[in-house]
Amino acid sequence: MHPDTFLRVLGPEPWNVAYVQPSRRPADARYGENPFRLGKHYQLQVILKPSPKDVQAVYIDSLRALGVDLEVHDLRFEEDNWEAPTLGAWGVGWQVMLDGMEITQFTYFQQAGGIELEPISAEITYGLERITMFLGLSRSVYDVEWVPGGVDYGLVRHQDEVEFSKYYFEVADVEFLKMRFDGNEKEAERCLEAGLVLPAYECALKCSHLFNVMDARGAVSVTERVALIKRVRNLAVACAREYVASRERLGYPLLAKDKDSARVKEEVQDGR
Amino acid sequence: MAGSEFLLEVRCEEIPARMLQPAMRELATRLFEELMALNLAPAEMETGFTPRRLILMLKGLPSRESDRDEELFGPPVKAAFDAEGLPTRAAEGFARKCGVEVEALQRKETGKGEYLAATRSIVGRPVSEVLSQLLPPLVEGLGWAKTMRWGVGEGPWVRPIHGVVALCDGEVVPCSVFDVTSGSETSGHAILSPRPFAIRSVADYRRKMARRQIVIRFEKRRQILQAQLDEAAKTLGGDLVVDPELLDRLTAICEIPGTVVGRFEPAFLALPREVLIASLRDHQSAFTLESGGMLLPNFITVMDRPDDPKGRVKAGNEWVVAARLEDARFFFNEDRKTSLEQRREKLDHLTFHAKLGSYADKSKRTTELTKEVCESLEWDGDLEDAIQAAQLLKVDLTSEMVKEFTSLQGIVGGLYAEREEYPVDVWQAIYDQYLPASTDDAIPRGQVGQATALADRIDTLVGMFGLGLIPSGSRDPFGLRRAGQGVVRILLEGDLPLDLDLIAARSVLLFGDLLERGGKEILSDLRLFLQDRVRHLLSLRGYAYDTIEAALAVGSSNLPDLLARVDAVHKVREEKDFLSVVLAAKRIANILRESPDQDLEESRLKEPAERDLHSAAEALRNDIDRAENEGDYEQGLRAIAKLSEPLDRFFVEVLVMDENRELRSNRLALLQNIQRMISRTARLTEVVVDKSEHRERGESKSSS
Repeated sequence: MHPDTFLRVLGPEPWNVAYVQPSRRPADARYGENPFRLGKHYQLQVILKPSPKDVQAVYIDSLRALGVDLEVHDLRFEEDNWEAPTLGAWGVGWQVMLDGMEITQFTYFQQAGGIELEPISAEITYGLERITMFLGLSRSVYDVEWVPGGVDYGLVRHQDEVEFSKYYFEVADVEFLKMRFDGNEKEAERCLEAGLVLPAYECALKCSHLFNVMDARGAVSVTERVALIKRVRNLAVACAREYVASRERLGYPLLAKDKDSARVKEEVQDGR
Repeated sequence: MAGSEFLLEVRCEEIPARMLQPAMRELATRLFEELMALNLAPAEMETGFTPRRLILMLKGLPSRESDRDEELFGPPVKAAFDAEGLPTRAAEGFARKCGVEVEALQRKETGKGEYLAATRSIVGRPVSEVLSQLLPPLVEGLGWAKTMRWGVGEGPWVRPIHGVVALCDGEVVPCSVFDVTSGSETSGHAILSPRPFAIRSVADYRRKMARRQIVIRFEKRRQILQAQLDEAAKTLGGDLVVDPELLDRLTAICEIPGTVVGRFEPAFLALPREVLIASLRDHQSAFTLESGGMLLPNFITVMDRPDDPKGRVKAGNEWVVAARLEDARFFFNEDRKTSLEQRREKLDHLTFHAKLGSYADKSKRTTELTKEVCESLEWDGDLEDAIQAAQLLKVDLTSEMVKEFTSLQGIVGGLYAEREEYPVDVWQAIYDQYLPASTDDAIPRGQVGQATALADRIDTLVGMFGLGLIPSGSRDPFGLRRAGQGVVRILLEGDLPLDLDLIAARSVLLFGDLLERGGKEILSDLRLFLQDRVRHLLSLRGYAYDTIEAALAVGSSNLPDLLARVDAVHKVREEKDFLSVVLAAKRIANILRESPDQDLEESRLKEPAERDLHSAAEALRNDIDRAENEGDYEQGLRAIAKLSEPLDRFFVEVLVMDENRELRSNRLALLQNIQRMISRTARLTEVVVDKSEHRERGESKSSS
């Protein structure tokens, strides 16, 4: 999980952000043969902190802005609570279904890095492949037009899917992965000791990904699995604590900014 | 209708389908109880809910509480005045609280002495005011399975609340739920009719919702959906694969009930039927159709809108269904690359329970226990198949298919075993292993299935009990009640004379030193636990609780035998002679309480009535023995009933507690004999006799 999501939802500072992020899920890789499942896909990540009262309506409007004519589609919010055990994070929300297809994960974050959150952030994760497929009526993700002129998703990404599927399921060297896991873990701890929370978190993320690869490779026994999850979680929790402390030391700079912006806004409105 | 009306609508973001019905029930019940306690119960109460609203409609509400006097009690008079007779601070304080002078206070005698008292007349509040106080804690305090916070920390509630309509006779009942203030405005469907509008009354609310095609009542929505489903099935020339749970779930995810019919590639019909149904049901919440035992390449699902004007909803759903089935086919093909035999090794890595070992360990134990079950039921011919089934029972847990569709545990293993051409008994045993999962399910089909299902569940029960993980209250994370229920039903419905105690004891031994509690403790807890399941199941079959208790008390650990005893008691318990023996048994039990065993000497039997009783009993001894040994319990109880007359006469004519010690102990010995004889089939003292129907005949000399 990107630091602009995982770390920024911690503590009292407001935060509104949207960014595109590739998301890798080794276990979902399908050798480029499944028209819908991918080992790597793109998300539009949105964090709104604190969650606005009308966040759901704003989200619905965002679909209209993308060109989804909701007058002829079926939009439903189905219970789907999100949880990332490796990050000590969970939230409550829905998978948003458009004509029976999940296009968005909508979550009110409740906890991250084992820390109870307040204020609460709304996280909206748009599945970009799904939405573009939907808009373009593509039968397969690989047919989605990447840029006009005959360049489609397949041309850009198919090789990636094939090679990484093979890597995740057949080739990845488990000993090497373990070694890198250990190394990144040590590095994260060293960074934390030096008070460098962002580099530490980056190492923790690498551990998380390495764990996912080992898991997809089928190289993790049940007991090992629990132990590895715990190790990543410990790093994430330590990063979260350290991040909260570091923001406090800095005097919550975004909190001050927010007051300023509120005042500016008021002044502008009064002047009108 | 006379009285006031009240409308409550709590509007919020989408509540999870599974939580709606319980929440609505809780809200309605609790409000009703609160109103009842204040004598404000409405004449009519109707509820409704959609994913985005909880709705209560009350009619015939009393408009206000009745005025009443309230008696307040203060300090005891003793403490209210000092030696000079002047009021103490306690008295003054109480007067102040009541808003009167000390002189105006009354003195009232209570059970605990004389107290200062005052009467205060209370003017009843208007019902609207009562509601404005009742509602916030009721709504905020609903017991959700999972809650959340939102915004700057509002909540906790199931999802963010957006509006509260609270109208009493058209007037807003002022109150706040979290940061939301009540009002008279609501809004329609989030996409199709989102504009806010005002509500004037319950009737107005119904009208305006109906105009927006929102069906607020759950039952009505389900009815509409069912009709649409039936209609669609008819058009497609098939029958719906019936699934009431799915229909309930779908009814709870829409405000506007609509259905959409889709198609998928007939090539997917090559997948096992169970997999197709599960994929469509679990992933797409869609119904499947069948005709002549074959699935059709169609599905029907529900949308939250009335129609599909451009066919986009259908197209979208078809598209996703194709993806889902594509995935199912991928899992199926991947799984088939590894044989079940090869999968057995993988069970080593799959933990059953941290302290009870892996599924490989469990399989070994289950296999051994399956052998014991077969041997003790003398199913020698099934032994080989049963061992094979037991070894393969859990291997499908390693399959991609079960990881994806957990509801197909067992079934997938069975299907794969069928394709690998294992004997019918073997694959069916694997397929049926989780039966019966619900009350409607049958038990596993064959003996191999029954033996393995029993062994598997007994292993789980003994293991968990051995760690002290016994279900209590609503907590049963390992599904042990269901497992216990399964054991009992298989034994009863399969008519299997298995000695449960014995087999459980064998199971304990198979765990070696893994268990944390002593075998005796485990077995006795398990016995009580299973007895509860027996009670439940037999009471469902219509046996009275005391009939069941009477048979249970004899302690048979062979369930068909137990059932025969219960049934025998059930059949004879209305008969006059039998009831009279039951009463005699109770009296005997009273008399014999705490008396040590005595030896009977026939020569000392003096009175004709005791001699007759003795000879009557001895004459019946053979009959009773035979009935007991042959399991003809009804016959046994009828034999016992023949003692009715001699017993009655005995109690009328003979004094058991005679002053003569020898006579007395001899009579006690006679009664002990009788007691042993009549308590073999069931413990008669457990049978409850309605005294008004069966008068005790004659006062006896021995009752003390």
